Amino acid sequence: MASEPTQRVPTLWESARVQKRILSALLIREILTRYGRHNIGFLWLFVEPMIFTLGVTALWTATKSVHGSDLPIVAFALTGYSSVLLWRNMPGRCIGALQANIPLMYHRNIRPLDIYFSRILLEFGGATISFATLSVLFISLGMLDPPEDFLKVVAGWLVIAWFGAVLAITLGAMSHENELVDKFWHPASYLLFPLSGAGFLVAALPPFAQEIVLWIPMVHGVEMVRDGYFGSQARAIYDLSYVIPVSLMLNVVALMMVRYVSRRLVLE
Amino acid sequence: MIRVQDVHKVYETRFGETHVLNGINFNLAMGERLGVLGRNGAGKSTLIRLISGAELPTSGRITSDLSISWPLAFSGAFQPMLTGIDNVRFISRIYDQDFDKNIAFVEDFAELGPYLREEVRTYSSGMRARLAFAISMIIEFDCFLIDEVGAVGDARFHERCNRELFGKRGDRAMVIISHDAGYIRDHCNKFGVLHEGKLGLFDDFELAYSDFREKIGLESAQRSKSEGLAVDRTQLIENTHTVAVRDDGFRVIVQEADWLRDEGHWARAEKSYARALNLYPYQRSYWVQLAHCAKEAGDFARAEAAYRTACALGEPVADVREHVRFVMGKLGVAEKDYPVASYSSVTAKNQPPAWPDVTNFAHAAWHEDALEDEEILDLLRAHETCDSLLATMVADPRFANAQHAWIEARRKDRSDQAVSRESEGRSAHDAETWVRNLAVIACPASGGCDPASAAARISVVQDAWPVLLDEGGFPGWAATHAAIRKQLGR
Repeated sequence: MASEPTQRVPTLWESARVQKRILSALLIREILTRYGRHNIGFLWLFVEPMIFTLGVTALWTATKSVHGSDLPIVAFALTGYSSVLLWRNMPGRCIGALQANIPLMYHRNIRPLDIYFSRILLEFGGATISFATLSVLFISLGMLDPPEDFLKVVAGWLVIAWFGAVLAITLGAMSHENELVDKFWHPASYLLFPLSGAGFLVAALPPFAQEIVLWIPMVHGVEMVRDGYFGSQARAIYDLSYVIPVSLMLNVVALMMVRYVSRRLVLE
Repeated sequence: MIRVQDVHKVYETRFGETHVLNGINFNLAMGERLGVLGRNGAGKSTLIRLISGAELPTSGRITSDLSISWPLAFSGAFQPMLTGIDNVRFISRIYDQDFDKNIAFVEDFAELGPYLREEVRTYSSGMRARLAFAISMIIEFDCFLIDEVGAVGDARFHERCNRELFGKRGDRAMVIISHDAGYIRDHCNKFGVLHEGKLGLFDDFELAYSDFREKIGLESAQRSKSEGLAVDRTQLIENTHTVAVRDDGFRVIVQEADWLRDEGHWARAEKSYARALNLYPYQRSYWVQLAHCAKEAGDFARAEAAYRTACALGEPVADVREHVRFVMGKLGVAEKDYPVASYSSVTAKNQPPAWPDVTNFAHAAWHEDALEDEEILDLLRAHETCDSLLATMVADPRFANAQHAWIEARRKDRSDQAVSRESEGRSAHDAETWVRNLAVIACPASGGCDPASAAARISVVQDAWPVLLDEGGFPGWAATHAAIRKQLGR
């Protein structure tokens, strides 16, 4: 079997240390290239999603969007739109990421998965800080009640992040083989946005529509976040025994795709 | 030790699979420096990428207990949006190195001054090369991979690079690929020739190089045919430099000539340059080299003709004036009596003639294979334009001698019958170099003619003149046409 040049097999601990070093180097590099050192610099990482979320919240409040429950609209928009940013930005940043960073493959310890990981971590961090900051802001302004079950919010958030991450890696690796992925992801992400649970509560939908939207993995995560936030005020519908196996399967697919792409990598 | 065992590499392309490497085997120990020769696209860079681990072989194994560098001086690894310092910081983090020590070395070696704090995208190519090399040197690898290190930078930079690499790190293993065979000769102790996916190994450079030359020679004859014809003499002259240096066959001959020159074998060096110039007669820089060698060998007439040719093809006169004065002094004439004409990108008829023009016109108009050096020199001295040169040659008795059949036919207005019919179905690319060049000069596409058709119709030297004129050749060459009318008695 073909193999890359190998040295003494390192211990798991050594490998983990290398991995941590590489990821942090890539993260810093990514932050510097994306945001530079001008004006507020890396603060844009979460200021940008915050502006998005604030804008949508303001818009929905102004238009008094119908969402089929008596939840305050601020709470609804914050949980909904933050979730969208979480699962939508990760694939957006991973598509084409390898091609843009291909010269880095000359450094033995950097592998394609590291590139994806660093970008996913960055997106996750940005979306999470934005969500947390806005939550604290709205709560302290009295526009929002503190979450009823904080851990459930975290769990739901992680479910969305997990699915978004493996989707990102899969699409990122596929986009290295076929540029159509990039073309299709943009319309797909826009079409998925209204279906992802950001703009409705599943319980408010008619039964046949509920059945359809529950096929979409993100919906379960968003519902779970809302369950954690205001479980007693609204009925959340989600099924971890569906979304976890789906994410697990996609996770396997993602790793296989990355491996396939890594083996066929062609540098300039 | 690096062990490369039966490595194959196949790339999928739009046109099917390409086998770039086809069973490569070698071992490389510390202190061994392997230089790989091979023509463009032979797979040298692919081999480097496989050893570096950046790409994986399709089959076979590469194992190593040495730490291996990325391809040295590879500037693509920079993030152009980051500053030089941030790039150093990144590499230091990746390889777990002391940043402060590294930045001190890079500051000292790359000599970028305040630019180190600027974004890399604002750097010149020389600055990038210096930064790339400096960054490559901060990690102490056991094995360095070197891909074309000599491409940029000045002599002092090269000297410092060599000191870092072959002086301070002379005990390491290296794999070096370069277009400059001399670089490989001077720095390697093991040699490989990569050809058709196979690597032949040699301990001796001369053996490796003669093997390389043999393999190149087989191919360059076919390769040169793939080039298209220039649209006119101006384009021929201006393109020939880049086309020639990409031709491995040309480069091999020139390389040999350079070595002969460096060792002071002037006459043999001159012959080698002449052989190279046979392939690309309008390549000006090697006319300068040929002239220098002829001068050193005491062949002043040839030297002056070659200097004049170089200037006629675009070498700045100021650069060679000193040498021209010297050889003309030896020949007992003053430069002001026969000023050296310099190139300008006007139409061919008004450009100053060069040595290959004289010999090509002599072929076509006189059926002469070779002229005496003195005659060539006299013709070059006496004519400021190609048009006046050809007019003189048409007026010469040798023209009437060689072209009497054409002159007869032309007087009876049956010029086409003078052309032999052997050339049907040939393509312009099968024609000899002089025919193709002459066709471009006489029948420029930019002048409304068809050089490809003219070149295809000339199969023997007797055809050249009738075909060129039949194709409407020498458009606007007033002096030449006047001379022709005189010969025809009109």
